[in-house]
Amino acid sequence: MPRVLNMWSTHQFWCGLFGALGIDRRNLVFSADTSEEQGRQFGKGRGTVDCCYPVKCIAGHYGELVFGQREKLDIVFSPMIYTVPSMLSGHVARTLTCPRVMAAPENIKGGFIKERDVFVEQGIRYVTPFVSLDEPKLVAKQLFEGGLREAIPGLTPSEMARAVEAGFLALRAFNNSLRKKSREVLEWCARENRACLLVLARPYHMDPGIGHEIEGDLQAYGYPVLWAQYFPTDPDLLEWAFGEDLRAGIIKSPFDIHDVWPSSYSANTNEILWGAKVAARIPWVACVVRLSSYECGMDQPTYTPVQQIVERSGTLFFSFQDLDSTKPAGSVKIRVETITHYLEKYAAAIIEKKKAAMPPGCPLPSQAAEKGPSASLAPSTAGST
Amino acid sequence: MATATTEHYRAYSPKPFTRAERDSVTVVFGGLHWRVERVIQAVLENGGNKAEVLPVATKEDLLTGREVADIGQCCPTSFTTGNLVNFIKKKSDELGAEEVTKKYVYLTAGSCGACRFGQYHQSYELGLRNSGLGAFRMFLLAQDQLDQKAAMGDGLDLNLPMTLGCLWGIFCTDLVQDLEYQVRPYEVGPGQTDAVVKESVEYLYEMFRNRPRRDSWRSITWHLTSSYFTKALREIHRKFSAIEVDRLRVKPTVKITGEFYLQTVEGDPNYNIHRWLEAEGAEVYPAAIAVWMDYLLRLGLQRFEDYSGIERGARLKLGAGRVAQAIYRWNYARLRRAMGDLPHELPNQFELRRLAAPYFNSRLDGGEGDMLVGKALWSYQRKKAHMICELSPYSCMPNTMSIGAMAGVLGKYPEILYAPLEIKGDAEVHALSRCQMILTEAKKRAQKEFDEALAAAGLSLEGVRAYVDKHPEMKRATYRVPHGDAVGTAANLVHHVAQRLGRRG
Repeated sequence: MPRVLNMWSTHQFWCGLFGALGIDRRNLVFSADTSEEQGRQFGKGRGTVDCCYPVKCIAGHYGELVFGQREKLDIVFSPMIYTVPSMLSGHVARTLTCPRVMAAPENIKGGFIKERDVFVEQGIRYVTPFVSLDEPKLVAKQLFEGGLREAIPGLTPSEMARAVEAGFLALRAFNNSLRKKSREVLEWCARENRACLLVLARPYHMDPGIGHEIEGDLQAYGYPVLWAQYFPTDPDLLEWAFGEDLRAGIIKSPFDIHDVWPSSYSANTNEILWGAKVAARIPWVACVVRLSSYECGMDQPTYTPVQQIVERSGTLFFSFQDLDSTKPAGSVKIRVETITHYLEKYAAAIIEKKKAAMPPGCPLPSQAAEKGPSASLAPSTAGST
Repeated sequence: MATATTEHYRAYSPKPFTRAERDSVTVVFGGLHWRVERVIQAVLENGGNKAEVLPVATKEDLLTGREVADIGQCCPTSFTTGNLVNFIKKKSDELGAEEVTKKYVYLTAGSCGACRFGQYHQSYELGLRNSGLGAFRMFLLAQDQLDQKAAMGDGLDLNLPMTLGCLWGIFCTDLVQDLEYQVRPYEVGPGQTDAVVKESVEYLYEMFRNRPRRDSWRSITWHLTSSYFTKALREIHRKFSAIEVDRLRVKPTVKITGEFYLQTVEGDPNYNIHRWLEAEGAEVYPAAIAVWMDYLLRLGLQRFEDYSGIERGARLKLGAGRVAQAIYRWNYARLRRAMGDLPHELPNQFELRRLAAPYFNSRLDGGEGDMLVGKALWSYQRKKAHMICELSPYSCMPNTMSIGAMAGVLGKYPEILYAPLEIKGDAEVHALSRCQMILTEAKKRAQKEFDEALAAAGLSLEGVRAYVDKHPEMKRATYRVPHGDAVGTAANLVHHVAQRLGRRG
């Protein structure tokens, strides 16, 4: 499986699914993180028209799977993920993925069959089912008819349905565990009155070759970093953050973004907008870092609203736009230093100001705890406020 | 560091447009081509509204659009945002900003999907705000719901008769446009076609403006059964018959495909590609809006196909949808018949899907989806065009995907003359010179095909010309030359003459 795009938010589903189908985890091979070398070595000459870097990179991932493995692979599995399950629901119109992202396996395939069918030549079956992960009733049928029936001899529809259930269970368990971890981080911040950063990005920006590890550079300065997609969704926290808006009828649920974004078609876009709203309300989120890829059409219209949502609350906002293959280490370093400089200077005041603006009843601990965070949570103290 | 405020950010929410304002407020719209815009204006006026069409976007609008909205816009967003801002600015200079806010509202189509187009309103809003016109009322017409009074007020009554009027307006102007592009390259008197088209569109404007009013359900029956529109189209057919043509001019046929806005608009946003191709010696096969809507119907019904066997009632909904689609296509064919069956027929959506299936999944939506691939193969295999000119806006997300999939098609059919043009609005020479190179090949093919037709029939150009001169009805723009084995108009005429002469063509 290529380690690309929506695989970054759904990989546990696929691992759970194939595990339930009896495929040993050791036989599930993901391509490596995106890198320039990967593209150069395996993807060169197989690109098709595209100006979106995260999509363009898939040629390198496919190439690595087809040509770069020590053992021969039988199947390249690259689903066309049409919708993704979202933590937002009810008052958000759709959970569609970006049109480029959903169609990427077809687009990139073009580069591998245009002269001769490389998959056939290498004895690899290319399986690319269309799948709507936000419509669980459809998924088993889509996967079964979309190539897995042929790829796994003897597979029955009922086995497929059970595997899909196992996949969703695995995905939910994984997401919940990360949200739980985020809650622990947030509680530690509240207890210690320390600032954390929130990253607003698409899940694939977690790929070091796409997001350039900017959040990692920031974390090295001692600031805990949370991702909006894995922000805690506990009712007590959301009631505190959004209760006033709910009672005023501005929103219908804590997951409603209609007050800031009327056209909620896209799952990842919705999550970014929701993340901005959360950042504006949670005092210990003193800074938001926005990551966006070159010419991202889904992100483009959101630049101004996201910035305004965040900045109106006094939260620091920094944006790294147009990320592509070039990783200008020098300028990233300078910007990271700038961000940490501002955090050192203003974080305490931001937290206090935001706390004052919030209603009473914060469910996060406000007193300094007797015990510090667990070792895995404790950030380094270098450069911290 | 930004200054904190206690008020959270909220999305733009325009003041409603009320019924009481209807006589004093003008509804502004645009973004299609002039023929259909003029008729939609008539439909809005027929519904009791004042309406005005935005001028065609220009390069100046492109620059304004880039200036006033967020970076990274796709080309159509820059054009349309700048177009709206410049229009309002001009009106503000004339009437004052406050008066413009009172007297005009802008209506634009929303989207059913996730791409920049579905989020256009944000760029419009930002553009207006950055131009000091933040109070201007802009309404997004969602494609998936008819009743939008809650969102925009009751000033514009978007009822069923109005929707049907727009739909029939699209059908009629599609047919006129199609015939126009078949005739103009061959007209003997320069400018004659344009004059007839202008006259015809004005005639349609009056017909739609004075369309009898019916309530909702009677309106459907009336539109489907009335001879009101077929009579109008027959009259237009009669107007076209006055144009003399010389179909022995050998020209390649170029099919326009691509992203909806770019394939529809005629002006700077697509480098005026239709007229440019004609000036370069081509016959243009334009993209009908009705084909796009037929595709949307197919796409919507696929959902019921997928749920068949899973959800109760899905098969029934699919059946009902298929009936609706059949009525849609029947109605288009009925109107086309009134134009002497001269405009092109609607391609079969299932055939397009079948042709595209090995290269692009039919469930992927956004842009033209698999239809873009299907139309290219259909044009080639059904001998509809010598060349496909595919118009894609710079950084269009879904279109880029379909074009990428075309790599696989071209691998299998390298002989297809396919010109994917990325339209940036300001890199005209690059795009047109690329198109010209492929057009040169298309011209050669059209000439070769013509020469072969003459040779097969044992005729000379002079001989065919003499025959046509003896049969003056063949020089009429409305004379129907059957689409035979050839792609081009001239070659098909040779085959036709050969058949009339009893020779093998």
